Amino acid sequence: MTGIRHDHWVSGDRNRHLARYRRPHGDATLSSDVAACVWIPLFALRCEERRRPELATKPTAILSADNTRRLWLVSSRARRFGVRPAMTVNQAVGLCPMLTLCEPDPVYYDEQFASLVSTLTSISPVVEPTELGRVFVGVDGLEHLYGSPERQTDAIVNAIGAKRPGYETLRIGWASGKFIAWVAATRAKPGCPVIVPDHERRAYLSPQPVATLQIDSDTHRLLHQLGLTQLGDIARLPEAALVSQFGKEGRRIWQLASGATSDPVTGYVAPSPIVATLDFPNPIADRTMLSHSIDRLVERALRHPRRTGWRIQQVRASADLEQGASWMASATLQDPSADAGHIAAPLKVRIDQTPPTGAVEKLTIAFTEFVRGGDLLQLFARDAASAARAGRQRALRAVVNEIKVRFNRSGLYHIVEVHPWSRIPERRYALIDYDP
Amino acid sequence: MVTHSRAPLRAHRLRPLNLPRPVDIALDVHGQPTAVTEDGDARAVVAVNEIWRVNDEWWREPIARRYADLVLEGGAHVIVYEDLTTGQWFAQKP
Repeated sequence: MTGIRHDHWVSGDRNRHLARYRRPHGDATLSSDVAACVWIPLFALRCEERRRPELATKPTAILSADNTRRLWLVSSRARRFGVRPAMTVNQAVGLCPMLTLCEPDPVYYDEQFASLVSTLTSISPVVEPTELGRVFVGVDGLEHLYGSPERQTDAIVNAIGAKRPGYETLRIGWASGKFIAWVAATRAKPGCPVIVPDHERRAYLSPQPVATLQIDSDTHRLLHQLGLTQLGDIARLPEAALVSQFGKEGRRIWQLASGATSDPVTGYVAPSPIVATLDFPNPIADRTMLSHSIDRLVERALRHPRRTGWRIQQVRASADLEQGASWMASATLQDPSADAGHIAAPLKVRIDQTPPTGAVEKLTIAFTEFVRGGDLLQLFARDAASAARAGRQRALRAVVNEIKVRFNRSGLYHIVEVHPWSRIPERRYALIDYDP
Repeated sequence: MVTHSRAPLRAHRLRPLNLPRPVDIALDVHGQPTAVTEDGDARAVVAVNEIWRVNDEWWREPIARRYADLVLEGGAHVIVYEDLTTGQWFAQKP
């Protein structure tokens, strides 16, 4: 899919000089060494405030989508009362009786974030979203259009429209590499981007806390126990010492802390999803019916003409619930597939584990990432692995039949053991016609 | 006369894998392989991992082979053997 979309992305003269191409593994990828990190903390809360401005002046919390008895995000006003994420609702209301609780609406947050990412593509073709509310913008070459880094960040702020309700907390960090840009964004204040020139990167990183490193809690604790509290403490150590203590992760930690590496922004390719929707005049909450509906929607989406020749890598189910809330589940398939059962299975597991919190009024299935499946043998090999694991032979039979129709013979063989311990090597294994 | 059963012919047919390929082998004074030439491409032997003999099936078509497990320059791993009845050398995948 990437190959198709990139042609479109770089078709204009304006974009041509903005990004350079890398071709890892033969695929064209947009990248940029210099990054602007655009960060809107507590993005979901900001989204709620955008549609209900009165929340901005109240202590607010959003419930967890997995467990609606616990809190997911907590506003700064609620924090002043001691309310914290992951608290139970009872605890939170005990601390802050006027706390306003919001049902999670992940579909709305996702739409708002997609809109933000889409807006940023008007500034640069190299945009890499990493999590809800955090996006890296590649700014290599933007000086030709906007001038200094300050003007570039101004352009980003203007494009987003930071004055709009909910986005006043926008923070921007500008630096060489994503990590330093992210650290700069965490230190920036709303309306005051932090720009780290390349020659100051080491000096800037040195006093920053180790907590800015995105590493697991065990490594954090161990670094703390070793008395390493700032990135400068790590950078002063020999790289070999970190490697011997933490292995490969130690090398990455040292390189990030010392500014020895700059991780480039990799262009985000917005796929054009294939969507199938089902409206329920009488909202349903029954899991069996929801699972059945997912099966039907996946089958319908697979029949979409644009899907031909592509296998599905990522699928998303979303539901509009009664009383305005929503539910969303997504799955990335390890083995991209065009088999309806294989695609629907992880979504049905999510239905069982974390079902929608209310009755569903509208259910939507969207295929959002695709892998090319045009090569017949590749299709066979990939689908064989996944179908065999699922105990299904249907995909194999279809492919073998298709090959037989085209070539009058399948030309596909199994390798079978004949005399695996024979002292004569050519007698150990043989090929046998494959006929599922 | 037995009538034709009209059953389809068995499509399953075994095809041998890893058939030996004829090669030229250069030997040192002790009879150890020093280079393997296949399709005109000569590669020096950097290590001889193991040498063994196989004498089998003397009751029908005798097999008498001297095998060598070799590492070639560039890291390729190959099994070669000398057919002791003809003196010809062959190579196979390990």
